[in-house]
Amino acid sequence: MPPSFQDILEEARLSARALWDYGDGLFNPTVRLGVTGLSRAGKTVFITALIHGLTRGGRFPVFEAYASGRIARARLEPQPDDAVPRFDYENHVRTLVEDRRWPGSTTDISELRLVIDYQRQNGADRSLTLDIVDYPGEWLLDLPLLSKSFEQWSAESLALSREGPRKNLAAPWHNYLATLSAEARADEQAALTSARLFTDYLRACRDERFAMSLLPPGRFLMPGNLANSPALTFAPLDVPADGSAPDGSLWAMMVRRYEAYKDAVVRPFFRDHFARLDRQIVLVDALAAFNSGPEALHDLEAALAGILDCFRIGRSTFFSSLFRPRIDRILFAATKADHLHHSSHDRLEAILRRIVARAAVRAEHEEAAIDVVALAAVRATREATVQRGREKLPSILGTPAAGESANGECFDGETEVATFPGDLPADPEALFKGGGFRGLASAPSEKADFRFLRFRPPQLEREGDAEPALPHIRLDRALQFLIGDRLQ
Amino acid sequence: MSEKTRKPATFKLDDANVVVVDADDPGRAARGTVRITPEAEPSQLPVPLEARPVAARRRFGWGTLFWIATGGLVVLGAGLGIVKLIEDLFTRSETLGYLGLGLAAAAGLALAVVTGREMFGLMRLAAIEKLHARAAAVITSDDRAESRAIVEDLLKLAHQNPHLARARTALTEHAGDIIDGADMIRLAERELMTPLDQEARRIVSVAAQRVSVVTAVSPRALFDVLFVFVAALRMIRQLARLYGGRPGTLGMISLLRHVITHLAITGGMAAGDTLLQQMLGHGIAAKLSQRLGEGVLNGLLTARLGLAAIDVTRPLPFTALPRPALTDLASDLLRKREEEN
Repeated sequence: MPPSFQDILEEARLSARALWDYGDGLFNPTVRLGVTGLSRAGKTVFITALIHGLTRGGRFPVFEAYASGRIARARLEPQPDDAVPRFDYENHVRTLVEDRRWPGSTTDISELRLVIDYQRQNGADRSLTLDIVDYPGEWLLDLPLLSKSFEQWSAESLALSREGPRKNLAAPWHNYLATLSAEARADEQAALTSARLFTDYLRACRDERFAMSLLPPGRFLMPGNLANSPALTFAPLDVPADGSAPDGSLWAMMVRRYEAYKDAVVRPFFRDHFARLDRQIVLVDALAAFNSGPEALHDLEAALAGILDCFRIGRSTFFSSLFRPRIDRILFAATKADHLHHSSHDRLEAILRRIVARAAVRAEHEEAAIDVVALAAVRATREATVQRGREKLPSILGTPAAGESANGECFDGETEVATFPGDLPADPEALFKGGGFRGLASAPSEKADFRFLRFRPPQLEREGDAEPALPHIRLDRALQFLIGDRLQ
Repeated sequence: MSEKTRKPATFKLDDANVVVVDADDPGRAARGTVRITPEAEPSQLPVPLEARPVAARRRFGWGTLFWIATGGLVVLGAGLGIVKLIEDLFTRSETLGYLGLGLAAAAGLALAVVTGREMFGLMRLAAIEKLHARAAAVITSDDRAESRAIVEDLLKLAHQNPHLARARTALTEHAGDIIDGADMIRLAERELMTPLDQEARRIVSVAAQRVSVVTAVSPRALFDVLFVFVAALRMIRQLARLYGGRPGTLGMISLLRHVITHLAITGGMAAGDTLLQQMLGHGIAAKLSQRLGEGVLNGLLTARLGLAAIDVTRPLPFTALPRPALTDLASDLLRKREEEN
């Protein structure tokens, strides 16, 4: 498809902005860190732990600039965009430390600016500004829509909804769709019902048992301030991928709304927050997919591949930093690594490498630096060996969240348990083969191959008045990779 | 999956069949129970950090420029004779003349640079010594204004060391607080000197170990003497750099003089108790072999010299922090020796 006028306009806008940022960056070095991750991947916790660690002092032995004492301090500053809410860092810390709860689902975009005062290796005083954005992970699913027409999207969504476990969940919507005719006159009620049933289907897919990831459009699940607007009242229709809509038909109405959704929602979101990133961390919650089954894993893979295709990755050159900023370092992080014994972290990293293989190859081809890490921004568990008869199980100790269940028991959120979540295979391919393992989606819970419980945040002891440092796994390594070179 | 995998399992800690035991508990649990052994926290274990040597840096400053220029003038005055020589060379052959001119210019420039650097190093050492004396005075007089001035000078001195950025910020934040003079000095010592003291101890310990090893294995006494001398000079230079001084050759000579004087004043006592004790008491190595014994003795002497050098080069006196003792270093040394045997 040749670039439309709209695309060219968009490019020009982005370039102008990049040029402006470049001038600004000369006086005030800034790193735009893109924290990317689907919903429940742990973006909010990651950002909170990062800010807490840098401002309050954490244990970061691998983060060279910090460990060697060159970072004088890090402070929060007012963010650059006045129209975006502030990231509610203080509240999130309170929730984590005092209530021992994880922050709730992010429902709207928010932003924060962190300024790091440091001294360079050669003794000069500098400061580095880190701009961080938090947003609902569901919205990220919209980015691949930018390059798809309504007809393409409809065909893909329908094909997807007729596969595997989705088929049953989508049945009510399919039944209703069968009664609709795309060429019939536009009918607001039909659009409303159709959108409602489609949203119900998407929501059902998100259940812990299925843990599907590829569920565009994201605003249907997390509408923000657009709930019930026409831009959110559309659904796929059973139309040919290369057909064109007759005037006044339901089809034409859906096409218009789909395009409006892209213009009003997706493009500004991409332009404001993703087009200008310098560094990116992609948080992936692979454990939820293990709980559910191979379908969820495949879904996660497809969703991530689609999203990562939208980013501009590659080595930064002078020209690119002037007109077309590129992401020159990208870190893939398997979050919630504390839900596994550390002896399994290598395998978790290997599996993640397999999940993001396509994006990683592309990034390497474009000469961007990539790394894969198993990470826990806030470590909720301790490790232990469980001996049962002759068997020794590398396990973890922690307090499961209220309502979690395993072995047919439901936990109250106070009892401490030791759990062995199951062995990850040495060869990641084994998981991706058809029926590679049994998850909750296809088997009762006592037959599943993996069971990753959700744990409550750790109990921290205060020393004096100071807020306690949050324990973590490899957060320092992530920081060193992401911004270490900018603090030389 | 093809390979054998284990099923997930969960055990409640308050279950009757579950016992939680320590890692070093060898006892066997009763039949049918599940034993849970919490493991040491990897995140709580000390992480070995690579010691980064303090990098020597040369930078172009206005002071340096001043000294270069002044030195250049002096050399110009004294170099009139050289000009004459070059003129003579020119009358003989143009090539020779240019060669002479080039050589003279190179020599002159080098001399100017060296002189400038030496002067600068000497001034810096003098400033550190003065700071040391002032700090010692404030600890007895408890003068608040003077302590602020000292801390400010100290911060300026420490500004050369990037690894002290955090410590400096912490100290700067305290500068406005109401703190008495002596306490302020102690605070500064705790904040700024702790990492440096550790590094200094490492430098001395490494030098002492090296000297003791080389003495134990070297075939000729001449090598020993040379090596000990070089190692001692190196150690003193490293210590001076660490604490903010930048001694050149003249600076090193004056520093060495100070160190030896200091050693002479305080050393007698050490020879009286600790050193003899070390040699006679723990000197198992010495009983085994004469050369090993000499090695240990030389190492101890180097350590002793290192401690004296720390006293001389450190910009603050030891008050809040413990002075590194010879026994610490000596026990390091002897332990290493005995491990090697």
